[in-house]
Order: sequence, then structure tokens, then C-alpha cells
Amino acid sequence: MNIAVCVCSVPDTASVVGYLDGAIDYSRVNVVMNPYDEYALEEAVRFKERVEGTIVTVFSFAPDSEKEVLRKALAMGADRAVQVRCSEEGLRPCDPFLTALGLSRAISGMYGALLPDLVFCGKQSTDFQSAQVPSMLAELLGMASVLGITSLHTSGDVIRVEREIEGGIETVDVTFPVVLSAEKGLNEPRNTSIRAVMDARKKTVDLLEVSLHEEPCVVVSGIKPLERKKICCFVPDEQELLGILNHKCNLLS
Amino acid sequence: MNKFLVFLEQREGIVKQSSLSAWNRVQELAALNGNPVVSGILAGPVDIGQLDGAMAGDGVIYHADEDGLGVYNQERYTRVVAETFQREACTALFFADTAMTRDMAPRLAVRIEASLLSGSITCDSDAGGVSRRVYSGSFLASFVPTRQARIYILSSSAPVQPVPDGGSIKFLDVEPRQCTVEDIFPVVRHIIMREGPPDVAEARIIVAGGRGMGGAEGFALLEQLASLLGGAVGASRTAVDAGWRPHAEQIGQTGKTVAPALYFACGISGAVQHLAGIGSAGVVVAINSDRDAPIFDVADYGLVGDVHIVLPKLIDLLKEFLKKQ
Ligand SMILES: Cc1cc2nc3c(=O)[nH]c(=O)nc-3n(C[C@H](O)[C@H](O)[C@H](O)COP(=O)(O)OP(=O)(O)OC[C@H]3O[C@@H](n4cnc5c(N)ncnc54)[C@H](O)[C@@H]3O)c2cc1C
Ligand SMILES: Nc1ncnc2c1ncn2[C@@H]1O[C@H](COP(=O)(O)O)[C@@H](O)[C@H]1O
Repeated sequence: MNIAVCVCSVPDTASVVGYLDGAIDYSRVNVVMNPYDEYALEEAVRFKERVEGTIVTVFSFAPDSEKEVLRKALAMGADRAVQVRCSEEGLRPCDPFLTALGLSRAISGMYGALLPDLVFCGKQSTDFQSAQVPSMLAELLGMASVLGITSLHTSGDVIRVEREIEGGIETVDVTFPVVLSAEKGLNEPRNTSIRAVMDARKKTVDLLEVSLHEEPCVVVSGIKPLERKKICCFVPDEQELLGILNHKCNLLS
Repeated sequence: MNKFLVFLEQREGIVKQSSLSAWNRVQELAALNGNPVVSGILAGPVDIGQLDGAMAGDGVIYHADEDGLGVYNQERYTRVVAETFQREACTALFFADTAMTRDMAPRLAVRIEASLLSGSITCDSDAGGVSRRVYSGSFLASFVPTRQARIYILSSSAPVQPVPDGGSIKFLDVEPRQCTVEDIFPVVRHIIMREGPPDVAEARIIVAGGRGMGGAEGFALLEQLASLLGGAVGASRTAVDAGWRPHAEQIGQTGKTVAPALYFACGISGAVQHLAGIGSAGVVVAINSDRDAPIFDVADYGLVGDVHIVLPKLIDLLKEFLKKQ
């Protein structure tokens, strides 16, 4: 069985994303694997541990500066790591469509006409939070998809997954091949041992160039920091709070 | 000529409130943009009587009223919407932000070659751009489409405005092309809906608690308050990780992004990852024993005190208040 996992790098939530001369300043940013992608990769590795002969290949559409995420994936138990780059410029595109297109070309290039049995993604990236790449990728590959899964069980050829919807839980049956995106709660990602990290250093990260001449579908036209500071009005007691919510905000009707 | 199409989502025959507010907002938007034709697409059997008086403006609703569409099916739904969009030569497709939307819209964007934008529409530009918070809510980014066809996922916000009279909505049955069996995996086996209060993602009022609630029992106070206000209970990640509340209630970067009209943060410190989920909330009320807690930096109203003392008082006062009404 072949499993592809798509991972991306995001700023560590603890680090400060700066703003300099009208643009994002990454100089103080520490990048890490997108937290949702850790759930995705963990589930793939668990699959491999259950089903003999499974090969887990991790793909990241990333510039050289973000290659570290692939080493981490190897340390977590992936068999192969592939850095996807576009032959034109080597940057990671900002547009989810171009990202999905690049990944679909990389996956087709790797597996040929035979699709991987499973493609795991994270539910969303924590930087831009588009949550669009997994379904676009599925559509481009001609695969079904279930997003934001919180549990997964296989019996024979059927995979039963659960996902949260507004106000409830949906149980969905799918067959291979399918794209699944991971939500928090799916599993608890393992810690990587120092040993595993050292071993991963010795493994190679393959480079796969894809051509990407298409225009992005969406472009970022501007970005500005948000001033969070409001002036909080402290109220002395509960009675006054209720009065404000009722009269000033008209929220209790 | 622009032509707008709005997807109206139903579950169990009930059209979602979020879809209806999306429809009404698109009507407003249309009025500002040279009055393009607005139509709707509705999949699955519903009693259309429920929509009387709930929808503003004029328009046709294409209704694919078929048993096979009662429950969401990725491929069937995607086809119905794509077919309608193309048949009616629409230029823009609008969705409310829901789990179903997030499943379908990116597929549709690829299929009908549209730019997909999610966020709030910036009315001041003709470019049809949107703005959305990024990087845990610390930046506001503007996005513009490059393709002729556009799909918008409108972030939920602000309570639904009352609908002015005088509109006329017509329903037209449409017959989608059939899918074959191979086409229609995945299959939804069953859906278990939680009983009772609204989901945090949809609630108009959210009463959220964090570590300061002291334990699962502490949340009983929040449940009481929520039920008096007709709202939902939410939680910080700390409260969820401690097992006090289910993950479905987590708000923040790795939880839900919410946009209630009123948000109570009780015993929540206000970490950036939590704030990432409440950037679009209306009035924020913080109750915390620490006057310097960062949550007060984003709150409109603050009450410094122990939640175990403040909340019971607030609940009693509210009960009295509601009795008098
Ligand atoms: C990658 C990543 C993702 C994350 N995603 C999320 C997310 O989605 N959502 C989220 O919420 N967090 C998230 N976090 C965690 C976040 O960083 C904080 O740790 C968390 O929000 C803190 O929860 P809290 O406010 O309940 O607890 P604390 O920070 O411990 O705050 C408790 C507050 O309660 C107050 N308090 C204590 N006792 C009382 C009392 N008796 N009465 C009144 N007030 C009292 C204290 O003064 C304090 O302000 C994430 C972290 C990481 C690293
Ligand atoms: N550059 C990328 N390389 C590989 N996978 C990606 C990339 N960007 C996004 N993904 C995958 O798509 C998921 C959702 O990302 P997004 O649509 O950007 O929120 C992520 O969790 C990853 O699994």
C-alpha cells in the first residue's frame, strides 16, 4: 500500500511574526511542521505499522529554507521525503490552487497512473488557514475526500471515519483511494527520539521539480498588522454588566 | 452582466440560518453592485414554506428536490451546484462558512475554474476582494481574485438583519444529471446530532470557559448561563485538554473560529491562540480574577473577580431579569 502525506511549514505559534516596511518580517520566526500535519503523518505511520508493505512518502512544496520539515517527517517514521519545487522559481506559492496543482503533479509524477491508496493532509495550515489545499488536491487527482477526520478505522476495503459537523458527528464510509485531512483529536503524535532524529539526518530528501506555468487564482493584495488593543470598560458588578448588555448592546432580547 | 448564485444548505430538511443570512447579505451586496440577478441553489427535499418571510429581495431558487440529495454527498452536490452555475451563466457563487461548504467549495473552484475567496467582502473595491485574518489573527490580509468566475465563502458574523417586505422568491425544480455508484463514494453512514443548545460555530451568544473554571463541574455554571441566554458553551484548549469539555467546543487556532454577537470569556487568560478564534466576535465580556490578564486587552467589558462568585450572581440577576420580561 502507498500512502502520500502532504506537510507544510508554518511559523511556530510562540514566535512573533513581525511587520517591517509594509511587509511580513519573518526574521524572528521559527518554522515548525504545521500541527495538523503531525496528526496526518502520525496516522499514516500507524497505518504502516498495522499493514505490512506500506510505504509512507511525505511531500512538501517548499523552498530550501523549509526543508527541515521533511527531516522531521523522516524522524517521525516516513520512509521517503520529497521536496517539491517548481522549476520556474523554487518558491512556495501562496495560492492554494497552485499549491494543490504542484502537489498533484508531484504525486502523479511519483506514482504514475496508479494513484496512492491514501493521501493524508492536515485540516488547515495555521498561518493562512485556507483549508483549501486538500479538497483541491483531491479534485485534481480525481479522488474522493473527507475533511477534518477525528477517528479512522479500517475493515477490509472500507475505511470508516468520523468528522465533526455543526452540532454533530458524521460517520462516513470510504474506499481506497481517498484523500483524508486530519483534525486535532485523531491521534496523539509521537515524540521523536534523539536517535530517530540522528538517523533522519543521514537519509536523503529527494527533490522533485514540477512545472507550474499557471497563474494564481487568488493573490494577496495587502497585509497589515491588526491593532488589538481596545479600551476595556471595567464594570464594578454583575448588575451593571447586565444593564450594559441590555441597554447599550441590546443583546438580551 | 453579473449573476450571483447562493448555495442554500439544508440538513434534515431545514435550511440553515447561516445560509439565509448569506442570501440576505448577497442581496445587500447586489444592491451596491448594480443589481445583478441573485438566484439560489437548494439541494434535497425541503418544505419551502419555512422560507416564507425569511429571505430578502427577489430571485429564483433552483431546487433539486430529490431523495438522493437529502444527505450531503460530495460528488452529487458538487455536480448539482456546478451544473446550475454553468447553465445559468453565473459569475459568482456564495456560501456561508460551514463544514459542508469547506468540503465542496474548493472542489467547485477547480471544476468551474473559479477564484475561491474566503473572508469578508470588501465593498469599497470593484475588484471583488475579501479580507481575512491570518497568522493567528495578528494580521489582516486582503485577497483579490484573478479569474472571471468567483466563489466566496462568507465568514459568519453579526446577527441576521430583519428582512424587509416586498421581495418575491420563486422556486424552480431542476433535475441534476445522475451519478453512477462509483461516483458517489464517500457515503455518509449516519449522523449523530447533539441534542439541545446550538453549536458554538453557529451560536449568537457564546459563554466560554478556561482553566479558571477549575474543573468540569465549574462548567455547569456556564451551561446554566448559556441556556438562559440561548447560547452555546465554548472552551479554551486547556479546558479541552484537561478533559473538561469535548473538542468540538474548543475555540481558537486549533479549534473553531467563531463570530457571535456576544462572547463571554470566563477564567480564560487570552492567549494569542485563543484570540485567533474570536477576532470577529461582536461584544467581548471578560470575567477574570487577574486584572492584568491579556484577555482584558481585547474585551469591551471586564469584570475582575472569581468566576465562582461572579457567575452565580450573574445567573440569579439574569433569571430575575428574564422573569420580568
Ligand atoms: C500550537 C498551539 C495551538 C493552540 N491552540 C489553541 C486553541 O485553539 N485554543 C485555545 O484556547 N488555546 C490554544 N492553545 C493554548 C494557548 O496557548 C493557551 O495555553 C490556552 O489558551 C490557555 O487556556 P486558559 O486561558 O484556559 O488557561 P490559562 O492561560 O491558564 O488561564 C487561566 C485564566 O483563568 C484565570 N483564573 C484562574 N482562576 C480563576 C477564578 N477562580 N476566577 C476567574 N478567573 C480565574 C487566571 O487569571 C488566568 O487568566 C494553543 C497552543 C499552541 C502551542
Ligand atoms: N506547501 C505545501 N506542501 C505540502 N502540503 C501542503 C502545502 N500547503 C498545504 N499543504 C497541505 O494542505 C493542508 C491544508 O493547508 P491549507 O489549505 O493551506 O490550509 C496542510 O495541512 C497540508 O497537509
